[in-house]
Amino acid sequence: MTTFTPTLRDRLTRYAAREGFGLFALIFLVIFIVLPILTVLLWGFAIRWRFPAVIPTEWGFDFWQETLSRADLRRAFPNSIVLSISVTLLSMVICLPASYAFARMNFRGKQFFLLSFLFTNAFPRLGLYVAIAIIFFRLGLVGTFAGVVIVQLLNTLLLMIWIPTAAFQGVERSLEEAALDVGASRLRVFMQITLPLVFPAVFAAVLLTFVNTFYETYGALLIGAPNVLTIPVIMFPLINNQPIPQYGAILSLVLFAPSVLLLLFANRLLRGGYLTAGFGV
Amino acid sequence: MVARSTRSLLPYLLITPPIILVFGLIFFPAAQSFIRTLTGADGGFSFERYLEFMNDRSSVTSLIFTFQVTFFSLIGLFAICYPLALYLRFSNSRVAYWAQMVALLPLFVPGIMSAYALIRFFRGRGLLETIIYQLSPVLAETYYSPYVKPEGIIIGSIWESIPFTVLVLLAGLRQVESGLIESAQDVGASRWTIFFQIILPLTRRAALIAFCLNFIAIFGSYTIPYLLGPAAPQTLGVLMQRTYQEYAQPLQAETQAVITFAVCALVGLLYVRTVSSQRTGRN
Repeated sequence: MTTFTPTLRDRLTRYAAREGFGLFALIFLVIFIVLPILTVLLWGFAIRWRFPAVIPTEWGFDFWQETLSRADLRRAFPNSIVLSISVTLLSMVICLPASYAFARMNFRGKQFFLLSFLFTNAFPRLGLYVAIAIIFFRLGLVGTFAGVVIVQLLNTLLLMIWIPTAAFQGVERSLEEAALDVGASRLRVFMQITLPLVFPAVFAAVLLTFVNTFYETYGALLIGAPNVLTIPVIMFPLINNQPIPQYGAILSLVLFAPSVLLLLFANRLLRGGYLTAGFGV
Repeated sequence: MVARSTRSLLPYLLITPPIILVFGLIFFPAAQSFIRTLTGADGGFSFERYLEFMNDRSSVTSLIFTFQVTFFSLIGLFAICYPLALYLRFSNSRVAYWAQMVALLPLFVPGIMSAYALIRFFRGRGLLETIIYQLSPVLAETYYSPYVKPEGIIIGSIWESIPFTVLVLLAGLRQVESGLIESAQDVGASRWTIFFQIILPLTRRAALIAFCLNFIAIFGSYTIPYLLGPAAPQTLGVLMQRTYQEYAQPLQAETQAVITFAVCALVGLLYVRTVSSQRTGRN
């Protein structure tokens, strides 16, 4: 051992000098980001957890049954799922043909219309929903499923148009033309060449849209409440001043579930740069 | 690239549905609210609703408080994310890989879950104080919990914005070609010169985009300030929701909304201009 110590220490000092900032950053990020998430996980499976104990002293699933059988959750859970699926499908139907037009066709005002989607980010959400709510109130859309779908749809436009537009633009035209030259029909070229090439980006956009809608809080809160309740909305009273922390923890984990799917694709999603493309970087 | 030149109506038909949504649900409500806030009880032009806002002390306090919170959050955010992005851009080590993975984690956490996580972690006798207590009980006595304080909003806003900011800055830094930096090194430029003369100017656009979008998101946010912030003063987002739903005063809420629009519109215009100049510059 003793003969190795100097070289080991040498290596460690050299490593620390080279990676000093990285290690510092990593430790900071683990404390600041990972530990709070870990706290939720621990609370989710804790039965007893009192102050000086670093981890719960009693573990179990007792609170899961209690939380999952709550009447408000039983109403909110199907709402959240049906809403997210409807919004995602509608968004695809509305946005994908448009993104094809933006990528492949020339028309007047193209840049202007494409840029106008950026305005979905340029207004603070809650303020915008207050303004929309006043119109929806007159139309009788406040507190309805359709009302929530419409405002949530607004959130999906930028991602669902910009990401696929970038993908359609990225398809080599020569590939399609070659196929047309050897006599393939336009439909066949689209199905067998264009579609497989844009699929990863479109899939990323769809996944992001679904998850974002599943989490969406403000629209559901301002337009949907109290008739159309979603999981994030029923969580507010369970987090604020709730003496039983387990409720919030378990609902957080339920809400987090679709994210696990997103995390599995995270690497591909980020490597493709799709996410930042969706914000105009 | 030569796109198929179409004189037909087809492209317009294809883009109409999303364009209707953008105009009908953003420009129209915003403009309508703006006009309505300038209309008096008699139907004529009037500033009375803004005067009402300005004469209400809690509204004005809330506006100033929102500015302060947004300002400090943005400073903290850039202080953390710019050095981090710089490091991630120029390091290929395993530490850098893991640091990036961890920094992007909040992207996958729903807003309400992050608020809950931060409450449980930072509050008095939460996990952070527990860990400090285990290391040194004396030190734990000095623990200052940011929960239900302005610092809570700042910490929460930074926490949620780190992934997006790092991604945008990193995308900007990736556009700085390594060859450019190497040739500067070859002619003997110092690290600082390279940073200030090459990297900083070339990442200005990415930094602007990150600044604008984070400003708008933090300035108008609700979940984090409502759950992590103090009962008073409140940020405009919280005040707006309260005014609309708890006090059932949609007109007052509308005035507050238009004031947040006005502030964010300036920043939003900067964002749209930054992105559009970048795109035309590239084409």
